[in-house]
Amino acid sequence: MNVDITDLTRRFGRTQAVAGVSLQAGAGVFGLLGPNGAGKTSLLRMMATVLPPTSGRLRLLDRDAGSYAPRREIRRRLGYLPQNLGYYPGFTVAEFVEYFALLKDMPPGRVPRAVAAAIEQVGLGDKARAKLGTLSGGMLRRAGIAQAIVNGPELLLLDEPTAGLDPEQRVAFRALLRDLGQRATVIVSTHLVEDVGAACTEVALMDAGKVVFHGTPDELIARGEGTGAAGDAPLERGYSAVLAAARSTTAVA
Amino acid sequence: MSDTDAGRPPGAPASWDTAPADVDLGRVWTGVAAQVWRRDPGWVERLAGRLLRSPGLARALVATPSLLLAWIIATLVVLAAGAVATLGTGTPYVALFAPALAAAGVAYAYGPGIDPAWELSRSVAVGDRMVLLVRALAVFGLNAALGLAASAASGAAAALTFGWLVPMTAACALALAAATLANSANVGVAAGVAGWAIMVLAGRATLGQYTAAVTDSALVLPYLLFAVCCCAVALFATRISRGTS
Repeated sequence: MNVDITDLTRRFGRTQAVAGVSLQAGAGVFGLLGPNGAGKTSLLRMMATVLPPTSGRLRLLDRDAGSYAPRREIRRRLGYLPQNLGYYPGFTVAEFVEYFALLKDMPPGRVPRAVAAAIEQVGLGDKARAKLGTLSGGMLRRAGIAQAIVNGPELLLLDEPTAGLDPEQRVAFRALLRDLGQRATVIVSTHLVEDVGAACTEVALMDAGKVVFHGTPDELIARGEGTGAAGDAPLERGYSAVLAAARSTTAVA
Repeated sequence: MSDTDAGRPPGAPASWDTAPADVDLGRVWTGVAAQVWRRDPGWVERLAGRLLRSPGLARALVATPSLLLAWIIATLVVLAAGAVATLGTGTPYVALFAPALAAAGVAYAYGPGIDPAWELSRSVAVGDRMVLLVRALAVFGLNAALGLAASAASGAAAALTFGWLVPMTAACALALAAATLANSANVGVAAGVAGWAIMVLAGRATLGQYTAAVTDSALVLPYLLFAVCCCAVALFATRISRGTS
């Protein structure tokens, strides 16, 4: 299992952002759904080894993420796109991707080709030598995706990757996700259920720091059938039905 | 999202469409693009890459001044700390603790809130504390070079340069060398602090400005012992099983 999480928690003062999450994921595209404040980003940041857990066990790529040497090895094989991607306006796209390829400890001889391949994969070939400060929001997002995939990650963590992409780019991006999911574990946190339906083989739904559903997109759709739950698409109805059921259980308890 | 799998990539010649079918043109194009877009590192970066055993750290070193806002803030704090340290207060404590202010300034300038890619740089294999050491060296080193140039025109600049910027550049270089050898940023910090402490106290002792407790040259040995202890503590604290980075 590339991701093996047991009873993971994270607190920020009195706020419990992640409350005892257990998840396992192998190769494939894994969707992480949930409303704002559900704990998706905190969970993803812990998996990216950016945020230490308050308690619980976090094993990534068959290594303990809490220890220095294994964590460094995990980071070499990790790709991460944060929700709020910062960039250096004076860097070109190629320089930005190369910078992070080097910081990921890639062998320098492999870097130029990997940078070119990543930039081509996200369709930014014609902007490779453009300064990041001159690009649109969607292009910056694609530059962020390029730095995340430049090292051919075995574990790819993407927080709201399609934010800012136009419909055509989103379709192309989902195809890229499916391709990457053939050989890596791709975890995508998103608000957009259509991204999950089109690209994900598994999905987890979070609410109030807990996983309230874990299954396939078809199973999520089945949860919404005949419930009269709100939503324009079957997945949205499944999403609403699971959330409503989880919240009513919490209210009763 | 990619154009290389189907059709001609942007910028590729028209002959692309007529190439033999058994040639993987996407792969060829990637190879061409890699050559066209590759950046040739300058001599400083190449040398740093060899010395630091990490092209990533070398790149971070030369890229540090280009992050303009962070650079300006770090430089202002470093110069302010230097002004305090070289003020001549009669006590070595100010000079001894001035690097802490400078380190905090550099860490803040290249930390969350100012460095836009800080979150991303926390997730990479090269440790963020090693990157911070590299950034400190870049800030002190470049300012020391500028200070040397300004020293010809101003006595105050000379005092700041030779009393603060140049010695701190040396301390940062020592820290980075120790960190590289021990593969631990904590060891580097301990070595840098010890080096600076010895420099300050030895300097005071030779000038006779310090109290009797430190003017005795026999105390150099305890200073060295202190530095060794710092290194030992740092080594213990950063052993792999402790999980620090």
